[in-house]
Amino acid sequence: MNAPRLKVAVDIGGTFVDAISYDTVNGEISVYKVSTTPEEPARGVLGGIEGLLDSVGSDIADIESFAHGTTLGLNAILQRNGATVGIITNEGFSDLLEIARAAIPSSQMYNFSYQRPAPLVPRRHRLGVPGRLDAQGDEVTPLDEAAVVEAGRVLVEEHGLTSIAVCFLHSYADPSHERRAGELLREAFPGVAVSISSDLTREYREYERTSTVTLDAYIRPVLNDYIGSLEGKLADGGLTTPLHIMRSGGGAMSAAVAKQAPLMTVLSGPAGGVVGTTFLARELGVANMLSFDVGGTSVDSCVVVDGQPSEVHEAEIDGLPLLLPIFDIRTIGAGGGSIAWMDEGLLKVGPRSAGAVPGPVAYQNGGTEPTVTDAAFALGFLDPAAFLGGQMAVSADAARAAIAVKVAESLGLDETTAAASILRILVARTVGALREITIERGLDPREFTLLAFGGAGPLLAPMLSREMGIKTTLVPRVPAAFSAFGMLMSDLEFEFAATALKPLDDDVLDGLEDQFVELEARAVAVLDQQEVAEDARDYVRTLDVRYRGQEHSLPVEFRSGDTAADVLAAFNDLHAVRHGHAMDEPGQILSLRLKAVGVQPKPPLVRIDAVPDAGSAPVAIGTRRAFDMATDDWAEFRVFDRAGLLAGHRIPGPAIVEEGTSTTVFFGDQVLVVDDYGHLAITQTAATPTTTVPSGGAL
Amino acid sequence: MSTSPNPTATAPTATAPAPTATAPERLDGATVEVIRNYVVSAAEQMRRTLVRSAFNPVIYDVLDFGISIFNADQELMAEASGITHFLGANDRAIVEGTRYIGLENMGPGDVFILNYPYWSGAHAYDAMLFAPVFVDGRDTPAAFLAVRAHWMDLGAKSPGYVLDSTDMHQEGLIFPGTRIVKGGEIVRDITELIRFNSRLPELTLGDFHAQLAALRVGERSLHQIWQKFGIENVEQAIRQVIEHGEAVARKAVAALPDGSWTATDYIDDDNITDDIIEITIRVTIEGDSITADYTGSSPAVPGPVNLPIGSTEGIVKASFKSLTTADEPSNAGHFRPLTIIAEEGSIFNAVYPSATFTQWSAIVAVELMHKALAQVIDAIPASGGGDEPGFMALGHDSRTDADYVVSNNEGIGWGATKDHDGGNAQQHASQTTVRNTPIEILEHKAALLHERLELIQDSAGAGRYRGGVGVLREVRYTEPGEVLSMKKKTKTKPWALAGGHEPEPSEMVIWPGTDRAKRVGMYRASMAAGERFVNRTAGGGGHGDPLDRDPRAVVEDVIDGYVSAESARDTYGVDIHPDGTWTETTDRTDRTTRSHSQE
Repeated sequence: MNAPRLKVAVDIGGTFVDAISYDTVNGEISVYKVSTTPEEPARGVLGGIEGLLDSVGSDIADIESFAHGTTLGLNAILQRNGATVGIITNEGFSDLLEIARAAIPSSQMYNFSYQRPAPLVPRRHRLGVPGRLDAQGDEVTPLDEAAVVEAGRVLVEEHGLTSIAVCFLHSYADPSHERRAGELLREAFPGVAVSISSDLTREYREYERTSTVTLDAYIRPVLNDYIGSLEGKLADGGLTTPLHIMRSGGGAMSAAVAKQAPLMTVLSGPAGGVVGTTFLARELGVANMLSFDVGGTSVDSCVVVDGQPSEVHEAEIDGLPLLLPIFDIRTIGAGGGSIAWMDEGLLKVGPRSAGAVPGPVAYQNGGTEPTVTDAAFALGFLDPAAFLGGQMAVSADAARAAIAVKVAESLGLDETTAAASILRILVARTVGALREITIERGLDPREFTLLAFGGAGPLLAPMLSREMGIKTTLVPRVPAAFSAFGMLMSDLEFEFAATALKPLDDDVLDGLEDQFVELEARAVAVLDQQEVAEDARDYVRTLDVRYRGQEHSLPVEFRSGDTAADVLAAFNDLHAVRHGHAMDEPGQILSLRLKAVGVQPKPPLVRIDAVPDAGSAPVAIGTRRAFDMATDDWAEFRVFDRAGLLAGHRIPGPAIVEEGTSTTVFFGDQVLVVDDYGHLAITQTAATPTTTVPSGGAL
Repeated sequence: MSTSPNPTATAPTATAPAPTATAPERLDGATVEVIRNYVVSAAEQMRRTLVRSAFNPVIYDVLDFGISIFNADQELMAEASGITHFLGANDRAIVEGTRYIGLENMGPGDVFILNYPYWSGAHAYDAMLFAPVFVDGRDTPAAFLAVRAHWMDLGAKSPGYVLDSTDMHQEGLIFPGTRIVKGGEIVRDITELIRFNSRLPELTLGDFHAQLAALRVGERSLHQIWQKFGIENVEQAIRQVIEHGEAVARKAVAALPDGSWTATDYIDDDNITDDIIEITIRVTIEGDSITADYTGSSPAVPGPVNLPIGSTEGIVKASFKSLTTADEPSNAGHFRPLTIIAEEGSIFNAVYPSATFTQWSAIVAVELMHKALAQVIDAIPASGGGDEPGFMALGHDSRTDADYVVSNNEGIGWGATKDHDGGNAQQHASQTTVRNTPIEILEHKAALLHERLELIQDSAGAGRYRGGVGVLREVRYTEPGEVLSMKKKTKTKPWALAGGHEPEPSEMVIWPGTDRAKRVGMYRASMAAGERFVNRTAGGGGHGDPLDRDPRAVVEDVIDGYVSAESARDTYGVDIHPDGTWTETTDRTDRTTRSHSQE
C-alpha cells in the first residue's frame, strides 16, 4: 500500500456538496459534486467522499488530510431553526439583546414603520442574576451562585430550553463570574449546552458580545451533533487522519475545538475562497490580489495585500453582530440570478433574484423576468447546448425575447445593447464596491490582480477588469470549486485576544508581556491538543492601536524588542496609508491579539505540461457568435476546451474557454496566456480609457 | 437697520455655471444607471473614509453626520446614509455658502467651513466642510462636496452642550464659509483659531482631518468618473437622474389624495421660560405637488430651540421622503414636488441672532407632517415616542485624570401601524441610523456605573396594535460630574391613531428615591458621587382600540412582561388567571355584543 497522497476537502453549500482532492504526487485536482442531503448532512459528505475517491481510483486510506467546511450553522441562523436558547446576564440588564444598539438598518432609514425582527431569544427566556464588575474588572457585587442555578432551573426545567448563553458586563476585563456561572450550569444541567461570552471574545461592547454568545448557543447543539456524527461515520469508514473544520477567519481547527466554539464555523464557506486566493497570491508572488467570487445571488470580494488577507474582528449575520475574527469579505447583492427591470425609464439590476425557482428565463422553468444569466445567453457568452454538460434544456431565444419585451423596448435600445447594458450595470455596481474596499486600504484597485472564481466569476471578471483598468485577471483551476480548493491549503489557526485600553508607552508594553504570556499558554494548550509538531508552530503578536480618543484601531505587528516609539511609528505609517494623514497624538492600545498557527504541509503548485513553442495558440474546438465588449459589436469568438490548454498557450481575444461548470469570456482588446501551473491570465492589449485616469486631486 | 451678518447683506454673485458648449444628447436609461452607480459609490467611499478616520464617537459610533455631492448648479447628485435631516440641510447650506464666498473666489484644492446656523441649517457644532471640485477648462466648480459632522466643542458658553443660550454668540465660534484649506494646504491660522477656542481641540481637529480625508476621496472619485465617461456625459446623466427622481416622487404624490390637512403638536418650552410651544402645519396636496406650511406656529422664542430655515427644510424633506421615495438614494429631483413655507422670524425660520443650539424642536417636528396626513393615509404609523430622549454626562475621571464628555441617544418605542405593533427601543425617526452608546464604553470613558437598562412594562400606547416599548436607564455617578437631560417632549404625550392610546411621555428623574427627586425634560444638573438619575423613554402611540387586540397577543405580551396583567385586564379586557388560562372581560364581551346587536 502506498503512503497517503491525497489532500481532500469537502465544502457543503446551499445545493451541492463539493468534494475536491489534490494529489500531492502528480498535482492532479479532481472535483466531485453531489446534491446536499439536508435531512442528514453527514450523509452528503460521505457520498461526496465516496464519489470522489471512486472517480480517482483511490480509497479512504489514501487520504492524507481532510478539511471540511459547512454552512450548517449559518443556515440554522438564517432559517431561524437553531436551538431554544436562554440567556443569563446581570440583574437589571436582561434586555440588552433586544435593545441592541437601537439602530435601524441604513437601507430602512426613511421607513417610519420599520420594526426590527424579533430577538433570537424572547424576553421570557432572558434572566438576570445579581453580580457585577466595573470597567476595570473589579467586583462591585459578588456573583449570586444560587441565583445562577435557579435561573438555569427556570430556563431548563420550566421552559424546556436546550442551550444557555451567559454574558456579564465587563467580562472581557475579568471572566471569572462568567466562568463560575458556566461551571455551575454545566454541573447542574449536564444535558444542556452552555456558551460563555468570554470564551468566544474578550472584546468590549456588551450588546455585540451578547449577540455573539447567543448565536453560539443557538447553533451549538446542532453543530455538536453534526460534528460528532460525522467523526463517527468517517472513523467507521476507515479514515485515520483527523477531521479538520474550517474557521470563518481562515485556517482550520480540529473537530474537538469546533465543538467547543461552533460559532467559529459559521462563515467558513466564503473563507475557503479567500484562503485559496491568499495561497495563490503567495505562491505566484502577486503583491495585491482581489478575490472575485460570483455565485447565483451575490458577488463576494476580499483584498489580499502582501500575502495577507484583509481581516476584521466583527461581522454580521442577518443584522446580528459577531465579535469574531473573520475575513473582510464585501458582498454585493447581485449575481447570475439578479433580475433586470425598468424603473421609470432607468434600467435596474437586482436586488430581486429569480433564485433556483423559477430561475432565469432561459431555463424555461416559468421565469419571465430577464436575469444577468439571460443576458449572458443572449450575448452568446454561454452555450445553451453545452450548459452544465447539456443536462438542462436551455433557450437563448427565450432569454433574448424576454430582454426585448421587458427591457429593450422601454429603453429604446435593441435587444443586444439592452443585454449588454444589464451586464454593464452589474459591473458598475461591482466596480463601486471594489473601489470601496480597496480605498479603505489606501490602495488603488488598478494595482490589483483579480482572481475570478465561483460559477460565474470567470464570465464576468474580464468584463470587470476592462471597466476598472485592472491589468491582470486570473482564472484558477476548477474555478467553480475554488472555495473547496482553498480549504485544502489551510493551516490550523487560532486567535486569542484581550482588551487592554491602555496608553501606548514603554511601561505598559512591559506590562503587556504577562498578558501575552497568558495568551500564549492558552495557545500552546490548543496546539498541544491538535498535536501540532514543535517546529510547525508559529505565533504572531499584534496590537490594535489608535490615537487617544479615536475609536477605530489598526493592527500593528508587535515583535519582541519593539519599543513604544517603534509601535507608534508603525501605526502612524499605517494610518497615513489608510486614512491619508497621521497625527501628532499619543497612541492607545485597544487590545492585544495572538495568532497561533499550526503550519500544515502544503503541496507546491505543480507545473502542467508546456507547449513546445510558447506563445502559440491552441486548437479551437469551434466558434460562437458572441458580443465583443471591446468593439460593441458581434464577432466570431473562438471556443476552446480548457482541458486542451497547455502552459505557454496564448489566445488573443475575443475567445471563450469552456470547462464543465464554468466559462471564461474575454474580448478583442484582451489576450489570454496559460501560465506554468495552468492558470488563465487575461491582460489588456489595448489601453481602455480607465487606465489613463490620474488618481490625484487638488485637495 | 440691522448690522448683523445677514445673508442678504452680502452681495450675491452669479451661481450659474458656464454653459456647456455642446449639450450632449439624451443618454439611454442604462448608461444613466451605470453613471449613477459610480456617483453613489463616490458618496459611499466618502462615508467609509469619514467613519474610519473620525476621532469623535458621535461620528464613528453614533454615526452623526451627513455627506452630499452636488453638481455645478448645487443640485444634490448623491448622498451617503447618515442623519436624515442633516442631509436635507446640506442642500441649502451649499447654496448659501457658495453665495457668500462667490464662485469666482474659489479655487482648486480649497475647502470651506460653514456653521453660521441661519445658512448652515444646523446648530454651530454641526459644522459643514465643503469643497468645490474643478476640472480643466472651466473657471467655476464642476461639482461640490459636503461633509457635515457633529464637532465636540467649538467654544460655546457651556461645555458639552448648550441648553440655555439666548443668542447665537453664546453658541460657539462661527464660520460663515471660511477657507480652511487653500489650494490643498491647510490654513494654519484657522486651525489654530479652532484649537485655541475649543475645549477639546484634539478631538475637534481630529474630526476636521477625518472630514478632509473624506473630501479628498470624493474629489478623486469624481475626477475618475469624469475621466471615464466625459464630464458632459456625467452632467447629462445626472440631469436625467434628477428628472427620474422628480418623476418618481411626483408619481408617489399623485397617488396621495388631494386636499389640505392640519396638525398641531407641542414642544415643552424654550428652556428659558416654562411655556409650552405650539407648532402647527398645514399640508396641502394638489395633484403631484405638496406644500408644507408652518404658518401659525410659534414665533421664534428666546431660548435655543429655534430652527433656521435649512433645519426646517431638512426635517420636512426627511418626512416627505419617507412618504414617497423611501427606498431610493436621494437626489434633488425627489424634492421638487415639495414646497415649504415658514414665516421669517417664526420658530421654523429663525433669523439672526435667534438662539438655535438645542434643536430638539426639529426632532419633535419630524412627525408633524405625518400627523397631518395620518388623517387620510392609513399606512402612516402613530407617533414614535415624541422625540429623541438621550443624555450627556460630563466630569473628571480620577482613574485617567482626564475630563470626559459622553453622550447617549436612547431608543424609544415606535408608533403602531394598522398592520403591526411598533418596534421596541428603536432610534427616533429623525435619526434612524444613529446608535446608542455601549454601557462598557460609557463606563470606561466616564466615572459612571449603570444600575439598570431595561425595557419598560406598560410604556407602549395600547391599541389593536400597540406601540413599541421604551427604555429605562438608571445610572450612578461614582465621582462628581454633571448630567444633561436631552428631551423636549415631556409635558405632552406622543399621539396615537384610530382609537389607540397615547403613551406616557419621556422623562428623566434626577436623584430618584430621595426627597430631592426631580422630574425634568431638557436640564443640566450637578451630580455628587453616589447620586443617580433614571432616564425613561416614551413608548410609541397605539393604533386602534385595545379591546380589538387579538387576546392571544395580549397573553404573549404579559408572558414577556411588555404588558402587565393589570393592563391586560383593565385596558385590553383580557383577564389572565393564575393557572395561565385567560378569559375576556366584560369590557370586551359587552362591546362585542353591542357591536353585533347594532349590525
